[in-house]
Amino acid sequence: MNRSYYWLVIGLSIPAFLWLVPTLWMVSLSFQPNEVLARTTSSTLFGLIPLPFTAENYASLFSFGQTPWWFMNSIIVAVGMTLGVLFVSTTAGYALARMDFPFKRTLMIICLIGLMVPEQAVFIPLYTLFADFGWHNSYHALILPRMAVPIGVFLMMQFFKAIPQDIEEAARLDGVTWLRIFWYVMLPLARPAMMTLAILTFLYAWNDYLWPLVSAQQREYFTITLGLASIQSNFAQSEGLGRVMASGVIASLPVVILFLIFQRYVVQAMTVGGSKG
Amino acid sequence: MAPRSRLSQTQAAWLLLAPFLATYALFLVYPFCRGIWISLHDWNLLAVAFNPDAKEFVGLRNYERVMWGKNITWSLFNAPLLQGLGLLALVLSALLHRLGRLSRLNAIVFGVVSLLLVFFPGFYPDEGGRWYDRRFWPTVANTLVFVAFTVPGVTISALLLAAALNRETRAMGILRTLFFLSQVLSVTVVTLIWQIMFSPRQGLIANITKTFGGTPINWLTDQQFAMAAIVIATIWWSIGIAMILFLAGLQDISKDIYEAAALDNARGWKAFWYITLPNLTRTISVVVILQIILHFQVFGQSHLMTQGGPNDSTQVLVRYIYQTGFRDSELGRASAMAVFLFLIMGSFSIIQFIIGRERD
Amino acid sequence: MKYVLLGAAMAAGIATTAPAQDITLGRFFGACEDAGTDTTTSTGEACIIQSIINAADAELDGINITTLPTDWGNYYDQVKAAYAGGTPPDVHVMHRHRVPEFAGLGAIAEISGDLAAAGIDPSDWSPAALDAVSFKGGIYGVPMDFHANLWHVNMDLMAQAGLVADGKPVLPTSPQELLAHAQQFKDATGQDYLAADFAQFPLGVRTVLALLWQQDANIFTEDGTATINTPEAQNAVTAITQLFDAKLANPQLNYADSQQAFLNGEAGILVNGTWVVDFYTAEAAKEEVGLNTYYVADFPTLFAKGATWADSHMWAIPASLKGEQRAAALKVMAFINDHNIDWARTGHMSVRTSVVESAAYQGLPHRDEYTGTAAIARDTPPSERYGAIQDVLNRELQAIWLTDKPVSDALADAEIEVQDLLDR
Repeated sequence: MNRSYYWLVIGLSIPAFLWLVPTLWMVSLSFQPNEVLARTTSSTLFGLIPLPFTAENYASLFSFGQTPWWFMNSIIVAVGMTLGVLFVSTTAGYALARMDFPFKRTLMIICLIGLMVPEQAVFIPLYTLFADFGWHNSYHALILPRMAVPIGVFLMMQFFKAIPQDIEEAARLDGVTWLRIFWYVMLPLARPAMMTLAILTFLYAWNDYLWPLVSAQQREYFTITLGLASIQSNFAQSEGLGRVMASGVIASLPVVILFLIFQRYVVQAMTVGGSKG
Repeated sequence: MAPRSRLSQTQAAWLLLAPFLATYALFLVYPFCRGIWISLHDWNLLAVAFNPDAKEFVGLRNYERVMWGKNITWSLFNAPLLQGLGLLALVLSALLHRLGRLSRLNAIVFGVVSLLLVFFPGFYPDEGGRWYDRRFWPTVANTLVFVAFTVPGVTISALLLAAALNRETRAMGILRTLFFLSQVLSVTVVTLIWQIMFSPRQGLIANITKTFGGTPINWLTDQQFAMAAIVIATIWWSIGIAMILFLAGLQDISKDIYEAAALDNARGWKAFWYITLPNLTRTISVVVILQIILHFQVFGQSHLMTQGGPNDSTQVLVRYIYQTGFRDSELGRASAMAVFLFLIMGSFSIIQFIIGRERD
Repeated sequence: MKYVLLGAAMAAGIATTAPAQDITLGRFFGACEDAGTDTTTSTGEACIIQSIINAADAELDGINITTLPTDWGNYYDQVKAAYAGGTPPDVHVMHRHRVPEFAGLGAIAEISGDLAAAGIDPSDWSPAALDAVSFKGGIYGVPMDFHANLWHVNMDLMAQAGLVADGKPVLPTSPQELLAHAQQFKDATGQDYLAADFAQFPLGVRTVLALLWQQDANIFTEDGTATINTPEAQNAVTAITQLFDAKLANPQLNYADSQQAFLNGEAGILVNGTWVVDFYTAEAAKEEVGLNTYYVADFPTLFAKGATWADSHMWAIPASLKGEQRAAALKVMAFINDHNIDWARTGHMSVRTSVVESAAYQGLPHRDEYTGTAAIARDTPPSERYGAIQDVLNRELQAIWLTDKPVSDALADAEIEVQDLLDR
């Protein structure tokens, strides 16, 4: 480590801090009283330090807010979607990567075309489809459409392709069935790729906005992302700025924590995936 | 080993594929076809919901009403800047191909894109003519402007950061985390933060400007700044994944090259320019195209921060589709626009595919 | 473990609501999560309406009300999506201007036959209120208010500018006088004369519309011909833009910012609706708020005759609602109808004759200052495309004052687009 390295660190710390400022400001505002914020948002050091301090915003949020409920919905939807995508992607990815069967090429091409269909381009027919089924305002309506995304299949397929053949062949010679090989041999090996896929899917599910906006109209099925949007369009009216910001903090906390715990995994897995792909 | 579970390879494969194929067919393939079908109808959201027969087959009229107009003519000089740029690029791609700097496939792709640039801006309504939908093409243009600023913004800053942060030390790890952190926030949190950041009365930016005696800018309601505000918020939000992808690409560049270059006195910027960039072209193209596909679908930022305003200057395609479908109840038209969106996205995917193929 | 907890939470949710009639209620007005059940002390639209709903939930036997999310920006999109998806709310609020669209498609129920049984007396509604909820001879909802654009006045600043006489603000009577007052105001106080949300929600549109109606013109005729590119519209627009050109008002403020400017004492007049009267009254009483002496005035007449933009909030139920569920939903509407006086506390004008004549109503703060508004209330002709038309006007007017688009170009473009919408 030489001098220039330390200069680099210091030089980068400034933009990094600036990068963090908007988030810090949100957190700081969420700890200030609404009456003060109504007049000024820059009490102490441009409002970056929460003085005068209050935890009232959080207390009221949890005593009669809808935020905890939305929060739960988001967890249900995000976990459900993650599990669903993992299941669908690992099975299909494995079959496409390691097995031979008729029409395999055709199938691959069909899936490739699917990669090109952006979900924003199909949300209207999806909406009418779910309306015909009477499925709107339910958890499965929020989860199912996003399971059909072929990108996960491709990710897993790439990964399975990279696993050396001999592991599998040894098992095959012992007469182990395909499904067992998949379950007992391949899945454990695929853990890192599954982690990546899981985290990306979870983030995606947590942050999805357009589809919940058209599918969920009842509070029971509002996700936190949607709930926050509904608060935003009102915030001139009734609710205090501090409280809105507190909802924002609460909405972000799980994904931030999740990321901080697993970030090593995300970066490593992406690095591995990047070099293999 | 129980003999009952002896499935043939084909059977096992289809069994494993079944869950994916079922969801894929039901929630992607079928809706996609249905979307095309809806786009051929005059289809009112509420009317059809109450009476399934209330739709009328109109053929391609929705497409005409959205994209075409009365007395539309074409000229090479309608938008000299864009069309000139297209012509220039066309000549350039032919030239580069001749000189062997561009493979045939790339030259064709590049050429086709430039040709489109010459072709599309050339249309305009002649004397007494008009576009049937005056908002559609400006909306498409806004979306393109958004993409044109966001994608280079994200790519360049992510690339520079990745190059600077590409060391396995604790400090660098922390810095990486800080830059990545905003990526995990949801679009509603991002817009919440930036709406108030940009507010000319309560915003942090305004507070700081005022302290130094400046006049705060009305970021979100000034036509000159509204798009910039959305772009800034988006860059802040989405730099993380691009940075990680670049870091992954950087790991693949062998340390030996840098060491060899260092002997030739190529360090810092020089090393970045002559070693890092050429070795990263593939990652860069992947990142750029992923970003294009991602940002072309922008919705939340425009919907929540500016409501498409002022004067439609931040109205983007997906928001227009949403509005046409759910505010104006015109699912047919909205679906026609969605098909258009798909065509654009699809062509970018094809370009990505071709570039990916080429390098392998 | 998480699943167990979630499961338990959901099971608990179902168990507590099982026996009663469950009514889902859709509304805008913003969220007020700690409204309580005391309908007589809450302030602000959101909290007053929520306290009425909470009270109905508590007092009506066997009826459980769930308030749906209260997203302003996407309200009608979401209500439509809910209808189209077959899961509309059992009772929902809407504007009178949406009646042609929702009633025309058969989405909302005709309820003239249900009113008596529910305990709602339509003869107590003012004729204009009855008209607001009527469509092709049927009654499609229970009206809740008239709301209109007012001029909210900072009297201290006006006095400083010499624009107060007999304790009332002196308001302009012509576009020329408007400019003169604004200049006089700026010279005396250094502040903007007038503020409004010209940049986001259509408050600027409503201001221009009022000035248009004051010249006995309109943006389209009853038979569906757009008439926007007219000298009258030019007059209406330039009456406003002259203020921007002379830097006496700022077109770039949105709703929150314009309101904040007024409350901070940085603008003499705020053009905004009846819905903020109680809120501004409360704010003006606060020590730390810049606004001290607050006054409410009718929208002044700058042209031939008085007119101001107005609309009505009303409650409706889906046509598909039948049996006990329908009866329960009607009871909720009746309860809201009974609490019309509480709702009027927001500043809105009551729809019930008995309430208007009551001492409690007449004694509401500032109520006597805008009694003229009811007589000059106007709106555009009914149209199924009201929302889209407003949007066109909003865009083109914003183009004029935010991007310097020539007035005649903007009006011509607006006329073409509105005609398109009317022809569709």
